[in-house]
Amino acid sequence: MSATYTKNRLIAVLLVYNGNVVQTRRFKSINMVGSAFTAVDFFNGWTVDEIGVLEISDSDDYLDKFVGIVEELSRRCFVPLSVGGKVRSIETAQRYMRAGADKLVVNTASYADPALIGVLAQAFGSQAVVASIDARPDPAFSSGYEAMSRRARDATGWDAVEWAREVARRGAGEIMVNHVEHDGDKRGYDLNLIRKFADAVRVPIIAMGGVGDWDHLVDGVRIGGADAVAAGNIFHYTEHSTKKAKDYLRNAGVLVRNSTFYKIAMPRRPKYKPF
Amino acid sequence: MKVAIVDYGLGNIRSVVNALECFEVDVVVAPTGADLDGAARIVLPGVGSFDAGMRGLRARGHDAALDRLVRERGVPYLGICLGLQFMFSGSEEGSEPGLGWFDAKVRRFPDVPEAPKVPHIGWNDVRPVGNAALFRNLVPPFDFYFVHSYYVPNEGDAARHACGLCNYDIDFVAALERDTLAGVQFHPEKSQLAGMKMLETFLFNR
Repeated sequence: MSATYTKNRLIAVLLVYNGNVVQTRRFKSINMVGSAFTAVDFFNGWTVDEIGVLEISDSDDYLDKFVGIVEELSRRCFVPLSVGGKVRSIETAQRYMRAGADKLVVNTASYADPALIGVLAQAFGSQAVVASIDARPDPAFSSGYEAMSRRARDATGWDAVEWAREVARRGAGEIMVNHVEHDGDKRGYDLNLIRKFADAVRVPIIAMGGVGDWDHLVDGVRIGGADAVAAGNIFHYTEHSTKKAKDYLRNAGVLVRNSTFYKIAMPRRPKYKPF
Repeated sequence: MKVAIVDYGLGNIRSVVNALECFEVDVVVAPTGADLDGAARIVLPGVGSFDAGMRGLRARGHDAALDRLVRERGVPYLGICLGLQFMFSGSEEGSEPGLGWFDAKVRRFPDVPEAPKVPHIGWNDVRPVGNAALFRNLVPPFDFYFVHSYYVPNEGDAARHACGLCNYDIDFVAALERDTLAGVQFHPEKSQLAGMKMLETFLFNR
């Protein structure tokens, strides 16, 4: 039973590197998957509850292209859209929101700029601010995990769980937690890490990183205590993937949204736009 | 068929425009009340706070135009989120009077530790009540996507016309209908196929 009384959500995450959708392993992009639009339609099957799109290029050179991608996606997908990557200022945030984002995913810049999360929450509401935290195991920290920034490259000196409390205090409405070594590893979430986050803060926790089969999603909710379970890679290599994942969650007794299929004539829904 | 979206200057109405533009209709964003003329359907999406919204509607002449077109001529109206709340006489969120089409006051969810978190955000069940026209093409149970801190109590005038209820510790009015007026607290434009089906039903009466 979810603590929020709302349904547990299934979130499909797209990683966009230099304008292409990619798969990652331990935060390194390993495989180009193709166009974001194809991926979203592939995901969609109309069963996913939310879509996350994260820009993970090393430079800002692809930002305009990324904003264009977000804009096109928002015309085709009718679920909440979370957008992140390079959110360092209200200006970037505004560009993403104008392009159709419902929520902003903030990570690296929130360490250097203590005001950032508060400024975004003030401007768009806490419900629109998702703090993303990448954790690496380190026994030197009391929770056993350190928060990492810059796509897991830099140690921040923050205990990951302490940092979760801090971002919630600053106004983050949700927290997405990923484990640096589980990312792309197919061994499931680090349930110990997810549980520590879920116990530490009152805001919803989104589990991310390492899903290799549908049981991992169930565990994220049941054992980890996550409100939402997210995955990226797995959806790319399984046909009708989000529907299967959703059915699996429902059959396991997880409280998920009813995603009945309805036939609807949408003659003007934008077509694929490959790029 | 012209479908007018009421724009009162407070920002993001894009999702609603995007959703409606998928259908065989001419979507027109209406910055003033005069721009609502000739619309076969009027949609009022909710953005911002109650008072700022009502002031925006009045400053742009939307309140008078809505009274004339929606109340007198019966142009079908759909209020979404705050667009539902505007249909009431007022809200605990502010002091401005609403459009007053329903006699009730919008309330704030109790923000106390023993109550669920505010805002109510996420997917939740909507239970249809009576012969809800909006939901006639949906098969219960169905969910919609909610983001709100204020709600329409299931009492009096609102309860009489409620066509969908939702529970978030307390029961509240998720959707209501009266003649050609309809309002929903959730976001059909973010509610996948159930939302698109409901919008199709509103647009084409089928």
